[in-house]
Parts: sequence; C-alpha cells; structure tokens
Amino acid sequence: MTPSTIKITDRDHRIAKLSAIAVALSLVEFFFPSPIPGVKPGIANIIILYTIFKFDIKMGIWVSLIRVFVTSIILGSFLSPTFFLSLSGALFSLLSLIIFKNLNRKYFSIISLSLIASLAHIFGQFIIVRIWIIPHNGIFYLLPVFILSAFIFGLVTALITNKLLQLNTKK
Amino acid sequence: MIKKLLQSYKVIKAGDWFIIILFCVLIVISTKFLWALPQGEYLEIYKNNEILATYTLNQKITKIINGTKGEIKIVIDNGRVRFSSSPCPKKYCIHQGWINKANQTIICIPNQISISIVGPKSGYDSINY
Repeated sequence: MTPSTIKITDRDHRIAKLSAIAVALSLVEFFFPSPIPGVKPGIANIIILYTIFKFDIKMGIWVSLIRVFVTSIILGSFLSPTFFLSLSGALFSLLSLIIFKNLNRKYFSIISLSLIASLAHIFGQFIIVRIWIIPHNGIFYLLPVFILSAFIFGLVTALITNKLLQLNTKK
Repeated sequence: MIKKLLQSYKVIKAGDWFIIILFCVLIVISTKFLWALPQGEYLEIYKNNEILATYTLNQKITKIINGTKGEIKIVIDNGRVRFSSSPCPKKYCIHQGWINKANQTIICIPNQISISIVGPKSGYDSINY
C-alpha cells in the first residue's frame, strides 16, 4: 500500500467540523418555509463569520465554499440556478470581506463587516438574476425588499456571532 | 434571547453606526427611486371597457360625462384628476380622491365608467410584468 502523501492537519479537521455545522444550519433553514419568497435569514453565515473572526479569512473562504457545494449536492440543486445564485452570493460576500477586513478595528467591529458582506451577497445575486435568470429591469423593483432584509439579517447574524465569540473567549 | 441581543448594543462602535446609517439611507433612496411610479400624462375615460375620450392632464377643466345612471363630473387639475360628483349610491369613486400617477385608476361600477392615467411609459403591474 502506498502511503498517503496528503498530510491531514488540525486545520483541515477544524475546517471540516465548521463546514459540517454550516451545512447542517443551511439544511435546517431549507426545511423551514420562508414567509417571503427569496428572503432567507442565512443562519449558516454565523459560522462563516465566526470562522473568519476566530481563525482567519482563508479558513472562512474554505468553509463558505464547502458549505455552498455540499449543501447543493445534498439538496440536489448542484449546477442549477439556485446553486449559482448561492455561489455568486458567497463569492461576492467573501470578496467584500477580503477588501474590507483591514478596516480599523477600533472603529469598525464585526457588525460593519457583516452588513457589508450581506449587501455584497444581495448585489452578487442580483447580478446573476439580471444577467441570466430574469433578464429584465423589472426585478430592480424588488431590490428595496432585499436590501432591507440584508440589513436586518446582517445585523442579527453579526450580533449572534459576536455573542458566540464572547462566550468562547470567556472559557 | 432577543433581550440579550439588544444588550449587546454596546459592541456597536462609531464606525458601525456610520455603516448602519449608510444602510438606512440606501434603503430609503432605493425605495424612493425604484418604487416611484412615473407621473401620468394623459387621462383615458372608459365606458363599458371602450375608450370614450382621452385628455391631456396639463389643463384645468371639469368634464361632464354621461354614465348609465346620470351625469358624472370629472375634474382635471394640472396633473391630477378626480371624480367630483356622481349619481352612484355609495360614492366610492369620489372618496378615492385625487390620482396623479401612471396606471392609477378610479372605477365607478354603477355608472360603468372608469378613468385611468396613462404615463409616457407604462409601469409594471401584474398583467404586463
């Protein structure tokens, strides 16, 4: 038997564990009907924000992308429009987090980053929808609803993550 | 749990307030711009679903139209329009008041008269979306 050349580090284990939690939260969210079509709280983002703040942004990117792929494979929506929507949302959020992660921590906390990322998420999804799924300017009529939901859920996600981080440092 | 979350407002720093306010401004602006209906330009009067007359809204005039129950007065006042008198029993058409945006409509069912404003470009509704 040839020995495995891939070394599995603690870091890989941690990524796997966090991704598993994020996937589980995504699935829980999927089975609860949303009151407004298209508006989802995105509770898995708590885990991704937590990962970025507790560890580093590279790990957050891993967890986020693993979550998108694994969730879509489990739900059977891999390579479907739903998958590309969630992928572009995730990519835009991550991009915004990479750009803004060096904001001065003295003035900007996790809340700012969460809000920026949630706005980028909506932006990424709207680009895909406008270009590919519904190529019509009529969809911009829905934008205020989505920006409002991004604001609310971005804020709530940040507060929950902040609480989690506090609990973790107390131990 | 919500109470505990609200208690954590202390973690919100100055820059966060800036971002939050920016976000609120964005919501208000996007609502205002994207949900604004275009102003109307013409008034169309329908009787039994057939166009009876078309008037421009840029005038100040009172029109009298014969409905199935009697005479209706329609007031056009520089961009807005309303029913000012109608012989129908419940006067819903009068109570609806002024309309001024494209695609807005007032209907008087007893008289089988409806008026609707036409804009330069028709807005979106559930029919033409």
